[in-house]
Amino acid sequence: MIDTLKSICEQCTHLHSARLDFISAQPHRQKDIISRDLKELASAASLENEKSVAVRAGCLLESVLYCFIQAESAQIRRRRGSFDFNPDHSLNNYASIFNRWYSNLLTIPDIIVEYRDIIHINRELNYPPDICQIASRELLRLLNALLERLEQYAALTL
Amino acid sequence: MANLAQFNLRPVGREEFQARVLLEDLISSHLVQRPSHHLALAVWYPKNPSSPEQFLLELVCSDTSFEGFVSDRLSLNWKTGSNTPPFVNLRVASIEYFSKLLREHPGEIAPYLNNCEVLYFDKKLLTPDVLKRFNVITEPQELAKGWYVSESEYAKSRSIRELLSLYSHMRPMFGLIKTEESSNFENCRGILHVEVGQKWVPLTPEGIQTYTYYNDYQSGRPVYLLFEGGALYEVLKFEVKTAPDYASRFGFLEDTLKPNDRYPEVYLRAVHPSSQRTA
Repeated sequence: MIDTLKSICEQCTHLHSARLDFISAQPHRQKDIISRDLKELASAASLENEKSVAVRAGCLLESVLYCFIQAESAQIRRRRGSFDFNPDHSLNNYASIFNRWYSNLLTIPDIIVEYRDIIHINRELNYPPDICQIASRELLRLLNALLERLEQYAALTL
Repeated sequence: MANLAQFNLRPVGREEFQARVLLEDLISSHLVQRPSHHLALAVWYPKNPSSPEQFLLELVCSDTSFEGFVSDRLSLNWKTGSNTPPFVNLRVASIEYFSKLLREHPGEIAPYLNNCEVLYFDKKLLTPDVLKRFNVITEPQELAKGWYVSESEYAKSRSIRELLSLYSHMRPMFGLIKTEESSNFENCRGILHVEVGQKWVPLTPEGIQTYTYYNDYQSGRPVYLLFEGGALYEVLKFEVKTAPDYASRFGFLEDTLKPNDRYPEVYLRAVHPSSQRTA
């Protein structure tokens, strides 16, 4: 038996007790949306719904990176000289920006974008049959690690 | 900033830093503004940050083919609406045309290789000869790439060919640099790699903990790794090793600002699904 999604989710403590201090206080909706999605992710994991977990965790990864990079725009601008946050970018772009400026916290591997893209049936059809099983587990663990590092970062900088 | 992190980052002087940021901003705008011309490569040549005239080569993958170079000159302060130095002299060509020059008239591309630096690339769009000519190295020489095959998929499979047909359409999940191999090729050990920002870098002891193959192994389940060439191995163990010589010995592409000398080394044994079924 492989690890159940429920057991992984229970071990990933930051998925259900995320403080989200790395997100700007304004607007409030960002925290609300991520908190809601984390609850829905835990719910899907408890039901062992692999596809739902992969899609939701991929969506959350994008949301967390979006909020973090937006909140850190001024910091990136200070380091780079100029930086404009673009809200229309993709997970791939946000992961790239994060890896460039915050790889000391964590690195987001390129394969994660492929995992998130199994939301599209044409992608899933091209992947091996156990892709949802693998993707759901790796995305849960990566999201948990990301939330943990961002909370540590927020505790040091805020 | 589109694909900001795909640009190279290295410690530089203030003048170079400023010129680089301005060029990167221009490249970013081209990534967004030219949907019919997918930018594949941007090269700063010859790099002379103090000059009021900068030079940028862009290779594009275009919906409509075009021969030759398209040239333009504009202020790098274009964002502010100012037409003041520094200026950039832009030359744009299609990948096909540039590859043809590389093959047939290599002398014509010599100016672009002089003291140049690749500021942006998309390796999916570029040909191996262009990547090689501009010294864009995205993986160590001996890297073997592959996929994790779960216990259930392994049990269902009848041959390696069948497994390859299932997995080979997907981006590889890991890479492996072998650090040692038995004389009969049945056993080997090596350092697993992961693709980050189009470059294959070694996994760290912390980084590997995300991956299903590592967690499945830790839970006592058999773990199989399938490689592009058709080799299939079972994981025997993972062992964190401190090896400061590995990076230079095996040509690892590591972040020079964040060198690493601890790696999770994986020990592997070759398996042959069809012969096991027969046995």
